[in-house]
Formats: sequence, C-alpha cells, structure tokens
Amino acid sequence: MEILDKLINVALIAATLRTTAPILLVALGGSFTTKAGIFNIGLEGQMLAGAFFAVIGSIWTGSAFAGVACGVAAALAFALAFAVLVVTFRANEVVVGLALNILAGGMTISLMKAIFGTRGSIVGHGIVGLPKVQIPGAQALLGSWAPLISGFTPIVYVAFIAVPLLVLFYNRTRLGLYIRVVGEKPEAAEALGISITRVRYIASLLSGLLAGLAGAHLSLGYITMFTENMSSGRGFMAVAILIFSNGDPLKVLAGCLLFGFADAFSLRLQTFGFPSYLVLTVPYVVALTALFALSYRARPKIIKETLASMQKLLSVDRNSAPVDKNP
Amino acid sequence: MMSDRLRAFSGQIIAVGVALLLGAIIILLVGESPIHVLMTLLRGAFGDQEKIAGTLLQTTPILICGVAACIGLRGGMFNVGIEGQLFLGGFAAAWVGFSFSLPAGIHMLAALALAVVAGAAWVAIPAFFRARYNTNEVVSTILSNYIAVLLTSYFTIFLFKRPGGWSETPPILATAYLPEIFSFSRLNWGLFIGLALAVGVALIFRYTSWGYGVTMVGSAPKFAEYGGVNVKRQGFVVLLLSGAVGGLAGGVETLGVHHRFMEGFAPGFGFDGLIAALLANGSPVATIVTALFFGALRSGSLLLEVDTSASREIITVIQALIILSVSAQVLIKRRGDSQAGERRWKF
Repeated sequence: MEILDKLINVALIAATLRTTAPILLVALGGSFTTKAGIFNIGLEGQMLAGAFFAVIGSIWTGSAFAGVACGVAAALAFALAFAVLVVTFRANEVVVGLALNILAGGMTISLMKAIFGTRGSIVGHGIVGLPKVQIPGAQALLGSWAPLISGFTPIVYVAFIAVPLLVLFYNRTRLGLYIRVVGEKPEAAEALGISITRVRYIASLLSGLLAGLAGAHLSLGYITMFTENMSSGRGFMAVAILIFSNGDPLKVLAGCLLFGFADAFSLRLQTFGFPSYLVLTVPYVVALTALFALSYRARPKIIKETLASMQKLLSVDRNSAPVDKNP
Repeated sequence: MMSDRLRAFSGQIIAVGVALLLGAIIILLVGESPIHVLMTLLRGAFGDQEKIAGTLLQTTPILICGVAACIGLRGGMFNVGIEGQLFLGGFAAAWVGFSFSLPAGIHMLAALALAVVAGAAWVAIPAFFRARYNTNEVVSTILSNYIAVLLTSYFTIFLFKRPGGWSETPPILATAYLPEIFSFSRLNWGLFIGLALAVGVALIFRYTSWGYGVTMVGSAPKFAEYGGVNVKRQGFVVLLLSGAVGGLAGGVETLGVHHRFMEGFAPGFGFDGLIAALLANGSPVATIVTALFFGALRSGSLLLEVDTSASREIITVIQALIILSVSAQVLIKRRGDSQAGERRWKF
C-alpha cells in the first residue's frame, strides 16, 4: 500500500511537470514583455496559432521538429503584428491583444475547415508527435523516481532549463537590463539613448518564440492533435501569473507549478468521479484566487525595483560600458 | 467639433474598408471567391424578410452586450467578462422561468431582474478588487468567463437537467416569454430593450452629472479625483452596472429566443458586443449601428456555412481585422506624442 501511494505520488509529480511545461513556457515568454512594460494579453492567441501550425508543419514535413519550427514561426508572426500595432502605432495593447486572440481563434478554425474539411479537431492525418527523451542512467540512479527526470518531450526540458537562463539573462546581460529599464522607467531609457522601440520589439518577438513552443507542446507533446481553442485560457492564466510575479522567472516558475499541479490534480479528481465541469474550473479558480490575493502587493515593489535597477544602470554607465545611441 | 467627428467617422470607415480588403485576401487563401462570399453574406443577412428578422435577432444580444461594454469603456474599465455575465444571466432567467409560476408579465420581469442581479453579482468580485487593490480587471474578468461557462454547464447538466433531453434545462413557462414581434421569426421585444438601453445610457452619459463624472474618470482620472469624484467607488459601480447589463443580455436571450437554458447557448455574443462597442468608440448610440453590422455578419455566416465550403468563423477573422485596423488608424495621426506617453483605450 505504501509503495502504491509512493508510485501515485511520483506519477502525480511527473504529470504536474508535464502540465506545467506549456504554461511555464508561455509565462516565461510573457515575462519578456512584462519586464519591457507591455501588457501582453495576446499570448493566448500566439499559443493557439503555434499549436495549430505545429500540427500543420508536422503533417506537411513528416517531422515533429519541423512542425515545432512552423508553430514557432506562426506565433512569431502574431507577436510581430502585436509589436507593430502596439509599439509602432501605439495602439491600445488590450484591444490589440484581444483582437489578435480572436483572430487566432477564427483563423485556425477557418483554416482547419479549408484544409481538412472538418470542424472540431484534427486527429491522425499523419501528425508526428515529439519523441520522448529517455535520460540514460536515470533508472539506475533514481529507481522508481526516474519518471521525474526522464521520459519527457524535449520541450518540457527546454521549459525548465529556460528558468535559470532567464534569471541570468535579466541579471547578467545588457539586453536583459535594457528590457527592465525600458519597462520600469522608459524616460530613463530614453535619456540613456536606449531605443525603446527596438527593445520592445525584441521583447515581443522573444515572447512569441516561447509562446509558439508552448503551443507546439500542446498539440505535438503528449496528445498529437489539434482541437478548436485548445489553449483554453492558459495564455490568460499566464498573464495572471505575470501580474503577481511581476515577470520574475523564479516566481513565474512557482506560480506555474501551482497551476500545473492544479491541472494535474483536477484531471486526477475527474477519474474519481467528481463532476468534470466543476473539476475543470479548478485551475481558473486557483488563477483568480492567486491573482486577487497577491496582485495588490506588487505596487510598492515595482517602485523599489525601479530605483535598484536605475542605480545598476548608472553604475554600468560609470564603468564606461558603451551605450548604443539610437535616435 | 463636427469636423472632428466627421474625421473620426471617416477614419473608421476607411479602417473597415482596409479590414475587408485583408479579409478578402484571407478568403482567397481559404480557396473561396471573396465576391461569392460577400454575396452569400448579404443574401444570408438581408435576403428576405425572415433573413432580415434573423439579422435583427442576432443583433439584439450583441447590442445589449455592446451597451454593457460601453458603460465599462466610458469609465475606463475593460469588462471582458460580458460573456460570463451573459451565461449566468441567461441561466438565472431560465431558473426563474421554469421554477416559479407567476402571472404573465410579472414573471418575465422577475426573470429579467434576476438575470440583471446575476450578471452584477458575477462581476462584483473582480470589480471589488479592481476598485480596492487595482487588480487588473481584464485578466480577472477573462478568467471568470471560463468559470461561468463551466458552472452554468454544471447547473444545467447535474442539477436541473430536463429528463431525457439534451444538455438543457426544462423549458420556461410561457408567462415568462418575451413577446415576439412577427409571426415568422423569433425576433422579440428584446430588440426594443436593447434600443431603449442604448439610447437611455447615451442620455445618462450626456445629461447627468453622474454620467459626466464617469466619462471624466475614464478619460482623466486625476482630474476627476481633484474634481471631487470618488474614483474607486465609481469604478466599482461602473463595472457592476456593466455586468448587470451583460446579465440582462443573457436573460433576454433566454426568455426571447431559446425559452430554456442550454450548454453553449450564446457563443461569443459577449466578445462581439465588446468589439462592437470598441468600433463605436464607446458610444452607445453608435453601437446600435456596429451591432447591426456584426449581427448581419453573424446572420449571413449561417448561410455561408451552408452554401460555401468556408467556415462561418471567417467572419470572426474579419471582425478581428476590423478592430486591428481601426486600432492602428487614428494612431497614425497621433504619432507625435512622446514614446513613453500613456495609452488610452480610445482609438
């Protein structure tokens, strides 16, 4: 009985890591735009476009990785449209983001009908799913705990490795610092000659890159199919996480693990015969509760961080690091 | 003043034109002829008197949801949760409709009243946190949509399912019906409710000090605060009213069209209403026109699905393109402001 319990726990944790991956990727993508001071509600649509075109690419080329590349390209196109409208035309980011989400929903369904002649979902048609990576020696090293590090699709590893990389990116690279300054104190960035436009474009495209990967994970990861609106609000949950984590990678990870757990746990509840409709609300309820409980505390922190990063920037300047001048 | 308005209006028209052009390109990509699609849409929307009534029938919920969105937008609030308020309002109205028996008329009013209360109650928590702690209302209302749809499905299927039926509640009693206007269509008094609401809300914004205060808060919150408006309380009230009207839209849809609540009974009306309000720049009266436009698109798309191989979601694509090009167009004029300048919802 004890062993059984343990196994179920390992399986649940492994499932949590699996369900965390897509929301973690999309939230880390959104962390770029959040840090750059853009409210990116369009993540949902980028993710959906990524999921759809990953399936299309996978069918056309017969390769899962080419499919992922297609999905990422589609998400990047959406991110570029978002950046053009929000950064260059300075349109309202909420309006543009929502419209792009609606566009992604309508476009994927229309294209599905045009290409496959069906509604609802694309199954089969030669979709190639992503392979699962078996880490050599995992079984010997961890025994029954091996499923925790081995047997995931590559995108899951990418998602979790991205977290420390992003911490380094924000704290140790110039671009990361520029992104933060542009978000927290655009006037300071302007005064220092950082091109706000360019930095925001880069941030938006980076977010599209990760959102596309997240979408590809949905449709080519553990289930190889595309269904209408299959991102089902994950992009919005990511935005909720971004609001209360302020885009800090480690806090994003913590928030996403919470949702991944809620997701995995609700799937488990369903098998125990709880009404599925109520169980399915669990991740959304968790997202809302966390948003309400945590968001109001973010405001004094933003000011504090702004001061700290300005000091940092000034010290960078004093060490005579060249600052590229842009009109 | 007038020329300003005229310029804004012509700007919207040009933007719609650009969007339709882009839409035509997408229709070509999908493998259909844009002319054929356009003619089918027109025939489906205005082909005969039944089709016209059908268009008005689709316009009704879009209009009421649009007015709900206008109230929020005027006060500087994005109520993206109209969809959820619509579902709860629809269910609440149906519940009154099938569980009580009251005299005709009173029954209908009671059902509509509960729909209004349900819509307002559903937005109350996001509204409270928005007003008190500045919690982003866009995200909280979007997320609450998903919960509302699942929750009403749960009510419908697990608690109030009609024995032997589809996933729907028992039918409501005839005493709660909204009267129909013509014998050949399900078009009902809901249209008049929508029109009266649009005009009424426009008058309130124009002629009452409360309405003026709301518009002030929406366009210049600091100024409004110095002018003595309680910004926080007013934000709460604005979202609550917006949610109440969203709930009313659901009630009208249930009592006027379906006469029962069913799963997925009104897909996308809340979002269409928000888009119509954005296209109308937050003006309730102009929303009548934009809601009619989207109602016609929706109604036409039903025939589109039958007569062509295109999917009816192609109109969603066109709607999104319209909003994108409208959001870009006026900003071209405003490119002079500082890069760090604040963004406003108005475009």
